[in-house]
Amino acid sequence: MKKFLALLTCLLLIAGLFAACGSGGTDEAASGDTAEVAKVYLITMDQMDQHWQNVNKGAEEVAAANSDLVEYKWSAPDKKDDAQQIDKVNNAVADGAKVIMIAANGPDAISSALEEAAGKGVKILYVDSPANFPGEATFATDNKAAGKTAGEQMLAELQAQGITSGDIGIINVKPDTTSCVLREEGFRSAFEGTGFNILTTQFCEGDAAKSQDAAANFISQGCVAIFGTNEGGTVGVGNAIKASGKSVVGVGFDKSDTILGLVKDGSLLCTMAQNPDQMGKLGMEAAIKLLNGEPIDNKNVDTGVSVITKDNL
Amino acid sequence: MMKINDHIPLKELFAIRGMAQVVTVTFGLVVLCIIFGILNPNFFSGENTLNLLRQIAPILLIGISQSYVLITGNIDLSIGSVVGMSTMIASTLMSKGGVNPWIALLITMAACLTVGAANGLLVAKCKLPPFIATLGTMTIARGIAQLANNNYNTDSIGKILGDEAVQGFRDFFYYGSFLGIYNTIWIALVLWIAFNFLLGRTRTGRHIYAVGSNVEAARLSGVSVTATTVKAFLVSAFCSCVVGFILCAQAGMGAMDAGNTYELYAVAAAVIGGVSTLGGQGLLIGTVIGASIWGVLQNGLQFANVAVAWRNIIIGSIVIVSVLLDVIVRTGAKSKKVMK
Repeated sequence: MKKFLALLTCLLLIAGLFAACGSGGTDEAASGDTAEVAKVYLITMDQMDQHWQNVNKGAEEVAAANSDLVEYKWSAPDKKDDAQQIDKVNNAVADGAKVIMIAANGPDAISSALEEAAGKGVKILYVDSPANFPGEATFATDNKAAGKTAGEQMLAELQAQGITSGDIGIINVKPDTTSCVLREEGFRSAFEGTGFNILTTQFCEGDAAKSQDAAANFISQGCVAIFGTNEGGTVGVGNAIKASGKSVVGVGFDKSDTILGLVKDGSLLCTMAQNPDQMGKLGMEAAIKLLNGEPIDNKNVDTGVSVITKDNL
Repeated sequence: MMKINDHIPLKELFAIRGMAQVVTVTFGLVVLCIIFGILNPNFFSGENTLNLLRQIAPILLIGISQSYVLITGNIDLSIGSVVGMSTMIASTLMSKGGVNPWIALLITMAACLTVGAANGLLVAKCKLPPFIATLGTMTIARGIAQLANNNYNTDSIGKILGDEAVQGFRDFFYYGSFLGIYNTIWIALVLWIAFNFLLGRTRTGRHIYAVGSNVEAARLSGVSVTATTVKAFLVSAFCSCVVGFILCAQAGMGAMDAGNTYELYAVAAAVIGGVSTLGGQGLLIGTVIGASIWGVLQNGLQFANVAVAWRNIIIGSIVIVSVLLDVIVRTGAKSKKVMK
């Protein structure tokens, strides 16, 4: 019995040390000269999506070039969850963060926690998704403008094919997913005054399978074009068009390997790629400005979208 | 066999009940704290201590939920969904109905306790396996959470009432503090003391252990198995409901997926603390340690800048080792008895 207890203690110790080893390198390097180095946290919605990893990459690059000024840490809940993200913010404040760059999971839920943090002198910067609490600056895709770009691309292709009227379908995520709702708004604005009729939006929760079913329904209804507002929706649209074998124009958002494959084989006309690395890069540059006490000139930066087509893939 | 069991002295019985594991994991907790403190001195700052305790509080509460049910030899999978249901009903009543926060909480509590009672009756009276019964109520409760505000997350709870009117509620459960310590911590502490007393010092508590150790023996000695099981599930629903209030106060709105997978965090907190999944054994002091280990790892690994994936691997390993200990102790104790 005692032996087992001893063994257990050892295992716990090893587990703990494991954690220590995993982080030892970066920590020692940074804590050597703590006098001037300020902690900057990036808190994303989760750590798994490629999108967040690219935000991190952008921020990390700038932080590495300024390692005498900044100790950079990236943290996130293991899934998109308001309560967990609030914990992350509180932890960052307790760890002595001077600047927090955050992609808010929901605009309202986190606001009070950020207010509390700001009350303790922490500067708040938004990347990707702002909350309803005034931060120092926001670096995000202007979703409405991006949606309009998507609409214009689709319209140009339809006109090039000589189509001037017909039904158009939209696959969206949820009615309360702000970013995607704005994309849809922008998309619709591109078709104002044309002969096209946009049908009732289908909400598929970003689920690729559900989106594909809804897109297939649009195609059998006789739609000439379909727009997917996010990654899952776009995959669904592309796969449905591919399966139907019809010449429906598909336009989407985000770039995953699957989506790029669908653009490559012509199922999708194009996809709007956000620039998450720009969010991280510009966000970290702003954080350094804040640390130096310099003003930030542009408080609302559109990090833009790149239109990815078969030709520029 | 039966006779030998009856003659085990009380002292030895308490030792078997899991004190040994509590001591071991407490040691593990201290070691973890020291490691994190060395890695990042901010870990031990006064600010982080309070912050950490505030994060442990909800885990402790759902840990109490699961411990009660596990000790009766059952499992409650509906905990996370009841948390979500609690958040959504409370915040919908406030944001859409303009109901006074405290009245909203009472209505919400009634709804959550109904789920608890249903769990207890399904398991004890209808003899459904607890895994299946609570899987069903888990799904139903999550559905109710989604239905509460028509499949949307709610608006701000102060939308109709005004932000000042709901500030009292938000401060009471999350943002306020008393004697320099966050209210959330006080709430968890008070409930822990109450439920620890109920479990350790009352007849109901003894019945809960009895039902978990041996249902038939308990029934034969006149314990109402149904009433006892229902009581345990009610405690579980009560604590889960309070966690829902805390999340609602924290966010100032209701999210449909709030509390998602909390039932598993609760199992982890309970079993790390030495509560047996086989029933009849466990101490709520162990649950405190289990919840603390969970919270310390979340907080400490962030301070040490370790990726989420590693945290999951470490926590998973600790859960397995804890249960392994339970199994080893039980088989060890059994073979000893046989040898006598």
